[in-house]
Amino acid sequence: MTDDDMTDDGSVRIVVDGTRCIGAGQCEMLAPDHFRVDDDSALAEFVGQDSLPITEAETLIDRCPSGALSIAPSD
Amino acid sequence: MTDSEKAVAAAPNVTDSDLYVSGIPHGRLAEIRRTPGLAWHPYGDDGFWAVCRHSDVKTVSKNSDTFSSAIGHTNLWDLEADALEARRSLIDTDAPDHTRLRRLIAASFTPKNIKRWEQTVRDITVELLDEFAATGSGDWVDMVAAPLPIKVILNMLGVPLEDADYLVELSNYLVEGTGEQQSIPPDAFGNTTELRLLPFNSPASHALFEYGAKLAEQRRRDPRDDLVTALVQAEDAGDRLGPSEFRNLFHLLVFAGNETTRTALSHGAMALANFSDQWNRVLTNPDLVPSATEEILRWATPVMHMRRTARTATELAGTAIEAGQKVVMWYSSANFDETVFADPHQFDAGRSDNRHFAFGGGGPHFCLGAFLARLEVTVLLEEMIKRRMVLRQDGEPVRAPSNFVHGVLSVQMSTVEVSPQ
Repeated sequence: MTDDDMTDDGSVRIVVDGTRCIGAGQCEMLAPDHFRVDDDSALAEFVGQDSLPITEAETLIDRCPSGALSIAPSD
Repeated sequence: MTDSEKAVAAAPNVTDSDLYVSGIPHGRLAEIRRTPGLAWHPYGDDGFWAVCRHSDVKTVSKNSDTFSSAIGHTNLWDLEADALEARRSLIDTDAPDHTRLRRLIAASFTPKNIKRWEQTVRDITVELLDEFAATGSGDWVDMVAAPLPIKVILNMLGVPLEDADYLVELSNYLVEGTGEQQSIPPDAFGNTTELRLLPFNSPASHALFEYGAKLAEQRRRDPRDDLVTALVQAEDAGDRLGPSEFRNLFHLLVFAGNETTRTALSHGAMALANFSDQWNRVLTNPDLVPSATEEILRWATPVMHMRRTARTATELAGTAIEAGQKVVMWYSSANFDETVFADPHQFDAGRSDNRHFAFGGGGPHFCLGAFLARLEVTVLLEEMIKRRMVLRQDGEPVRAPSNFVHGVLSVQMSTVEVSPQ
């Protein structure tokens, strides 16, 4: 995580690693406005914005059991 | 490691099953938490690293590359290689096998798909609660905590109603198998398999395997909207779920869907009876149901530990761990870690940021049924609120003599106040 990864308003973009996700649904529970687990594939996907305030993003990454979430490097 | 090094931080015994007859040995676990580094706990001819602090449990749970579930066993004792293979379920696998198996069933346990079962859970809960209220007193485990989750999981699996009693009976024998005494002979249910090759060394596992295979066959011919159909279709979609994987998964779902939530509902009811001020808070403010649910899960800690095995040499809390050594995460300790939970021995229905490990330490083996367990506890609380039901605990519970499941075999409760519905 570097300053470059952060947008001007202090939010960061999250990416889901589909090879690690086990569909445990913690992201959907903690941030239902951003995530849901697809009912067929059992993979986490975005339902809204994929950028979140940094503290919220860090909590989500910490609570993801499979380590599938990470902060996207900035372009 | 040398004996003298082991002696430096030897843990007080927390595995003796007899200890658990009077509850979780909180004092001993707190002593291990306070000991700098990791404590070595003798066990059998060898021992394990007793991981008791919340932060260390999380580290072990999340680092599944280093701390393997597939080596040895996830219980304290090692299984012989053939027994481990025969008994291997989702619990005893690492990625990528674990990811593949987990994904085959994960869709059925997503928040939205679990929500579909809410009415079923409520119907079952209402029936059991009303019967308990009408009787006025009795064994809460037998009358509510045990039948509720097993009826729910059998419904989800698609087990015909008329077979429910048989499956409950098998499941009870499996619980017995987690202890030291079994009341049924090795050849019960026509079993001819060596017991060491069966989950919980129980002939009831053989019967459950047979039942599962029969049900799978029926669902292959006649698909329904149930979990067994979903598993069978996953199996038929290619080589993704093998026969041994199916039977162990079916077995795991029946057992895990039964024993763990039963424990949560038992300890939960006792907490609501014994911390009546907390239950009053919830009765007057139903917005506390979600936090009370999480607190019940923390308080109950249905599964008290899981074991990992170090794949490579590593270090944790400043202690060197050798490759092949057992590392045991004590959720029963982490959930009462005073550095994470303020006043941990107070049942607090409004506890905020409750980072309990009732569903594991936060790694990839995170409880598959977490949202189902939450739903069952939540619906029970909601229906108790509707009835203004206040419980009283009559005497000490009979606890399971097990260092693994925080089981309650029976507990007498009465309703001291209840409004008719």
